[in-house]
Amino acid sequence: MLELHRVSKHYASIPAVDDVSFCARRGEVTGYLGPNGSGKSTTMKMITGLIERTAGHINFNGKPIQDDLIAYKRRLGYVPEEPNLYNHLSALEYLTMVAQLRDLPARESSRRIDGLLRLFALHGDRHASISGYSKGMRQKVLLIAALLHNPDLILLDEPFSGLDVASALVLRSLIQELAARGKVVLFSSHELDTVERVCSRVVILHRGKIVADDSIERLRSLMELPTLEAIFSQLAVEQDSASMAREIADLIDA
Amino acid sequence: MPNLIARLIARIPLPFRVLYRQFLLRVVDLEALSIQADVPRFLGQFAGVLIMISCLRALGALFFPPPPGMAWELEVSALSNMLLVVGLISVVTWDATFPDRRDVLALGHLPVRPRTILLAKVSASAGLLALAMATLNWASGFVWAVVFGQGSILRSLRFFAAFWFTIVAASLFLYGAVLALQGIAALLLPRKMFLRFSAIAQLAAFALFMAVYFLEPSLSSRAQLLDPANHALLASSPVYWFLALLNQLNGTLPAEFMWLAQRAWIGLAMVLLGAGTALVLCYVRTMKKTVEEPDLVPGAGGLHWAPRLGGSLRTAILYFSLRSLVRSRQHRVVLAFYWSVVLAIALSCFRSEIAEPTPGAIPSGYLISTFLIMTIAVFGLRNVCALPISLNANWVLRITQLRQPEKYFAGTRSLFLLLGVLPALLVTVVLGWRLNPWQQVAAHLVLLFLLGCFFVEIALLKFQKVPFTCSYLPGKANVQIVFWGAVFVISLLSITVALYEQKVLHDPGHDAGMLAALAAGAGTLWLINQHRAQYAELYFEEVAPEIILTLGLSTGMRYEPIGPGPKSAGTT
Repeated sequence: MLELHRVSKHYASIPAVDDVSFCARRGEVTGYLGPNGSGKSTTMKMITGLIERTAGHINFNGKPIQDDLIAYKRRLGYVPEEPNLYNHLSALEYLTMVAQLRDLPARESSRRIDGLLRLFALHGDRHASISGYSKGMRQKVLLIAALLHNPDLILLDEPFSGLDVASALVLRSLIQELAARGKVVLFSSHELDTVERVCSRVVILHRGKIVADDSIERLRSLMELPTLEAIFSQLAVEQDSASMAREIADLIDA
Repeated sequence: MPNLIARLIARIPLPFRVLYRQFLLRVVDLEALSIQADVPRFLGQFAGVLIMISCLRALGALFFPPPPGMAWELEVSALSNMLLVVGLISVVTWDATFPDRRDVLALGHLPVRPRTILLAKVSASAGLLALAMATLNWASGFVWAVVFGQGSILRSLRFFAAFWFTIVAASLFLYGAVLALQGIAALLLPRKMFLRFSAIAQLAAFALFMAVYFLEPSLSSRAQLLDPANHALLASSPVYWFLALLNQLNGTLPAEFMWLAQRAWIGLAMVLLGAGTALVLCYVRTMKKTVEEPDLVPGAGGLHWAPRLGGSLRTAILYFSLRSLVRSRQHRVVLAFYWSVVLAIALSCFRSEIAEPTPGAIPSGYLISTFLIMTIAVFGLRNVCALPISLNANWVLRITQLRQPEKYFAGTRSLFLLLGVLPALLVTVVLGWRLNPWQQVAAHLVLLFLLGCFFVEIALLKFQKVPFTCSYLPGKANVQIVFWGAVFVISLLSITVALYEQKVLHDPGHDAGMLAALAAGAGTLWLINQHRAQYAELYFEEVAPEIILTLGLSTGMRYEPIGPGPKSAGTT
């Protein structure tokens, strides 16, 4: 289980994440939602250990992650928000490098990389430079790199970004399958329809603070709203979208 | 006056002005220079170095007026320097004048004509060339005109005009030749093949300019120039064509060298015509080709064999570094700079003493040259490895940092040994192939290997990072002071060590003592590095020193830098 207890991150005294506490359990897909700039990716980076938190604790399976960061990283798979990869490498070279950095056995990792490249339809382009890849292809490389070592904790920050419909459907099922096999999955996305289908429960963040943390069913019944989109709009969207759209059109016309 | 200039500028079409400014800031190949290069700062430093050279030359001519017979020697030197600078500019600004994919995608949908883009790009390149020409020659051009005018104002004015015309013509000739070559290749080759050719041609051009500058003999007397043995050199060297052109314009060219001036005129006309035609055709034809090029080229063929090179982490670091060196233009160019210096030293060493070795003695030139080669190979590689390749992608190294930093440093050590020490040793073996006695050559090789190991440990002292992954503070590369200071110190050390070694090579006892001392030094440094690695952290950002400004307005009042904390790379 992944637990965040009163976690905060401040940049020059400006809070990006403020006193956030929630749990992501084994066998569940936890959705982590919020508008742009609400602090989702900052939280994700704190969970990975990429950035230091200003306050609070992060525990995995009851132990603070800082106690043995290396052991924790061995069990962590992460898909970042931006598909930043080493563009001068090919997909095969990049994935082989990740496997070597993770100290995976050469033969086993080679078999897995080959299989995953085939399943993600990248095998034909495995020797091409990543600089020529489309956004969706880069996203697939990130997914393979995150799953290569069979992690226990999977952090997915906008994993559907750039994926085509077929790949997105596969990924949606894959996320559920991984959770069903006992992994802890924390999933951040703006695609509320997908979140509604995939996640067992959601945590909604607004301006760095948690404004909702419950199962989607309970939120629906508590707030008496039919969809996650309606719940999200009520909790985290400050402006009326129709009037804002009218203002934009008026400004262009003027 | 400022109003007049402002009004004149306002008459230039706005799209041209906007594009000119953009292209001028990008004229220096950012890929070749640095990932996030500060171009104005770079141009400032570049101009500073050239102004210094120009001033030194002018002061030399002013305080030690050259005799009339030395004029050609100075002119050859001025032309060689100018052509080297223009050559280096053409390498650094390699593709800047041609349309690239980024321009096409960013500007293609805007109502901007291709000719505006072409003119803005040509103007930006011309701006940089003009800066180089003016700064390198402003002082010397003026002083030489006075000195060579020998008191006659008319003669001085004529020399001044001839000198500047020749400098501009020679610069245009070389820059135009590079443009024409690239343009013809872009027109004839498929785009994918052109990109590969372009990368290789850039390095080849770099090596050629450096080799010609360092190795071309300087012929300045009439007798040398008339010697039939030098005819082929004169016929093929643009420096002498433009020397003849300068003297033709100045009215000081003997009739027997008129054919050289003719070559300069013909060469200049051909190059300008070729470059102009190639550029125009490129904008008409290759802009479309660039757009139509597929986003993804399917898996390239070729060899994909990648055997393990030690443990998995060492293998990962070595392959990552090798691929970065081979595939990144920036790193290739910087490494090529160091290796062209190595090549120049090796060739000059080969041409001098080693071509005809004295039996029974190892020449001191060989020892000095090989020390220099080892030093440049190791520290040059270290400098290249300090330049990052893709900072945004480094997150993967942080996420997968599952082993102690010392294991990463061991990988870096292997890289320095493999790509720094080993090639230097190979060059030394080739240079010493014909030298005798072979026992002394072998002893020198062992000493050089130990020296290489010693240098590698020194290079690792403050290198607590994976090669190519740490951000770089451009202010640290103070080329004027650090580079020339290092060259001076290294040369002095190499000469001292070589002369000492030459003495002890004849005495096995002393030689063994020297080897033991060096081995002990390298071993001690290795132990220090191992000890430090236990407490070290891998770092991915160069941290600038914190600056606290104390204004002293009141007791105890202190102003601290605004922004993120000390870990931030941008804090200054």
